[in-house]
Amino acid sequence: MKKDSAVYNRPSILVFSTESISDPGIDLAGASHMDYPVTVSVISLPCSTGIDPRWIVFALKQGFSGVFVAADGMDCSFIEDCTKRTGDIVARAQELCKQEGIDPKRVKMAAICSVCSEAFQKHMKNFHSALTALEQGDDEA
Amino acid sequence: MNMEREKADKGHKNIRKVSFDCVVVGGGISGMETALNLANMGFKTLIVEKEASIGGKMILLSKVFPTLDCSSCISTPKMAETFNHERITVFTYSEVKSIENAQSSDSSPSEKPSFVVRVKRRPTYVDPSKCTGCSNCEKVCTVPRPDQFNEGLIARRAIYIPFPQAVPKKAVIEKKGLSPCSRSCPAGIRAHGLVALTRNGRFERGVLRAMQDAPFLGALSGLCPRFCEGACTMGKRGNKPVPIRDITAFLLTFAPTGSNDTASPATRLSLKDIKGAEGEDSPVYIVGSGVIALSLSYYLARAGKDAILLRDKGNDGAEGELGGFLWDAVRDGRISRDILLKDIELIKESGVAILKDDEIEEGLLEDMHREKEGLKGVFFEGSYRDLYKIVEEKGRYELLPYFVSIARSMSEDILRGKRPDGLSGYEQILRDGIERTERLNKDRGNGSDALPIYMDMERAVNEAGRCLDCAVCSECYECVRACPASAIDFSMREEEVIVDAKAVVAATGFKLFDAASKPLLGYNRLPNVITAMEMDRLLSPTRPFNAVLRPSDGKVPANIAFILCAGSRDKTAENPWCSRICCMYSIKQAQLLMGAIPIANITIYYIDIRAFGKGYEAFYQQARAMGTSFIKGKVSRIEQADNGHDLFVYYEDMERKGKIRHARHDLVVLSTGAVSNHSLAKAIKGADAATDEAGFFDEVSSTIEPSISNIKGLFVVGAATGPKDIPDCVIHAGACAAQVASYLLRGEG
Repeated sequence: MKKDSAVYNRPSILVFSTESISDPGIDLAGASHMDYPVTVSVISLPCSTGIDPRWIVFALKQGFSGVFVAADGMDCSFIEDCTKRTGDIVARAQELCKQEGIDPKRVKMAAICSVCSEAFQKHMKNFHSALTALEQGDDEA
Repeated sequence: MNMEREKADKGHKNIRKVSFDCVVVGGGISGMETALNLANMGFKTLIVEKEASIGGKMILLSKVFPTLDCSSCISTPKMAETFNHERITVFTYSEVKSIENAQSSDSSPSEKPSFVVRVKRRPTYVDPSKCTGCSNCEKVCTVPRPDQFNEGLIARRAIYIPFPQAVPKKAVIEKKGLSPCSRSCPAGIRAHGLVALTRNGRFERGVLRAMQDAPFLGALSGLCPRFCEGACTMGKRGNKPVPIRDITAFLLTFAPTGSNDTASPATRLSLKDIKGAEGEDSPVYIVGSGVIALSLSYYLARAGKDAILLRDKGNDGAEGELGGFLWDAVRDGRISRDILLKDIELIKESGVAILKDDEIEEGLLEDMHREKEGLKGVFFEGSYRDLYKIVEEKGRYELLPYFVSIARSMSEDILRGKRPDGLSGYEQILRDGIERTERLNKDRGNGSDALPIYMDMERAVNEAGRCLDCAVCSECYECVRACPASAIDFSMREEEVIVDAKAVVAATGFKLFDAASKPLLGYNRLPNVITAMEMDRLLSPTRPFNAVLRPSDGKVPANIAFILCAGSRDKTAENPWCSRICCMYSIKQAQLLMGAIPIANITIYYIDIRAFGKGYEAFYQQARAMGTSFIKGKVSRIEQADNGHDLFVYYEDMERKGKIRHARHDLVVLSTGAVSNHSLAKAIKGADAATDEAGFFDEVSSTIEPSISNIKGLFVVGAATGPKDIPDCVIHAGACAAQVASYLLRGEG
């Protein structure tokens, strides 16, 4: 991301979604004309367990303010312990963030079901304001 | 010509053979659960689903009773699991045409039959391996259709992704062949496409789309005998047909204008250049200047060939003037000079190089004529001189679309590396054209020489708006342009898959009673009478309006009535049975409505409340406690109040001396019953599948042998055997899978 646009669009959020569960829910939020920050970008994957923690750190280094993993929760159709595995990935990512000097609060995870459009909207708004507060704190310091 | 091509395509159907342990017909909750159970036991299973996504009716519901779980949240994972399972293959947008080799169970006790299931895979016209489900195509599609996944409450497009949770999430195009107008055009113009684009105000796109199909649009809009309008369904239904030819004339004012100055070649074209030009990428030389020569070079240029036109003097009847007999039409006052000049300009713009006299060597044409036989890569219009005679002698300019059609088929031959056929075949095309024109004029009772009527933008849009979208997809090709993955493929054909299967499971589910067949209840007649499935859509997370609104004026209804047993337990509707689900889904909706509209008064008119099963009675009592009014009484009719929106429900009040009473409501919901979906029973060949009096599949003994039908190897599951709620369907699917597995393994170990 270019520096200018990163400043202009801050705080920007990258969302990892899953093709069959959280992506339809996020789609539905759009289809229902729900309003959430424009700086949200979504990348869809088959399953959230396929995320590499290094991708999350990479995204943050590239200029994203936060990374949100929209996991399947108990609904995953591939792996039974999907939630635990995704949780571990996020924990590892937060660990990596600490090593790199990035605030681990910039990484967040929640279960989004296929019709959880309202929940997604709420998460995005809350995460966005939390990141805004975080960045203002950074500026002051 | 077009029709012949279509016939040839139909004959060339793709047939594929595959084999599976079990074929499950129907991808609803029962079918998915049966297939999942079987696949988890190691059996290779095929699901055949007629819609473009699996999920059946359950995925469309708001919540499930009595737990009030979100229906789509619990079915999406199941759909994804089914679709991604390594031992399950899913054919969506497909139908079972026939099931052969069926034998009734008492005929041959020892032998296990092997079924031959013929599956028709309808073309989706979208390559599923390329489609990413981005829905860009839906945004540009020009044809609206009622959305069957929203019970027609809103519109979808002819190209559509069923719903946000669809599995697989791929677009499909609803297309029923070609519209009569497009099919009837000899010049091959997709008339429906340009009408649809005009209706949407995309005039420039309309003219560009028509230019993809044929040259000489201007001349055609003045001379064509309007085969398309003769075929228009609107006209056949006693109305005026959509004035397609006049709309084309209107669109031409939006034709692109640009420079057509092609750089002159440095050297003059010589006979040596022409002789040297052989092979795939070499240019095609066309000698002539008439309609065929121009159209042919147009089609070749459109197809990406280098088409070089050499104006031939004195050999095409028009002294080398580009346009041939069309200049006679100008002189006769049939078309204007400007229109013809514009047409020729558009042909030049499409990439046809028309060489001027100073760009060819002197005497080249004479040399070429002399060596005619030796020049394989050159097309001489003069060889087809006889075709023009009929026009010149009788002034039959209306044959223009047939000349275009001849040029099109010549161009196809040339592109295939063949030389165009001899004269006689093309003469036959013209003779057919004359006959067809005469027949058309006789039917219409007037000549085809009426001049185009000038249309302003408003009129053109209004007239185009009358189009009925006969074949649904208009072939306007907007989706082709919009698709970032180039996934649209109009050459896709229907495919027949012959499946070898050891067992077949009928999981075809049920249909909802057609409420319109009870006119006194007012469905279709009164806008504010809706069915419970429509109410479920209004309440679901994927709801169309994000609110519960009544249809007539979009008001939030404050007083809602449910009428139970609409089309069940009713001999006059020929449905004497209880549908089992209506009481409970109505109570569910009552509870959800009280959540969605806190001020709403809900009244349920019932005969008996059947709240059997675990948690159901408590669910019913809960709705009572929340304030739903229950009135025991059969509703006889529904009338509209004077304000045109509210409704009067007339009912027999059984608890108060049986008096006839009436009550006023904002919105009435008909809790329609379940009826059988017996199309599959007819597809079974060799033996008759037993069905009950209502048309549901019969189990031989539902008490002790669930799912087993009277046909060996055919199993029935879920609501295909009779109305069932979701938990019962899931249990039944488990039972069915166990029965199938035991049948498949029996005698094999």
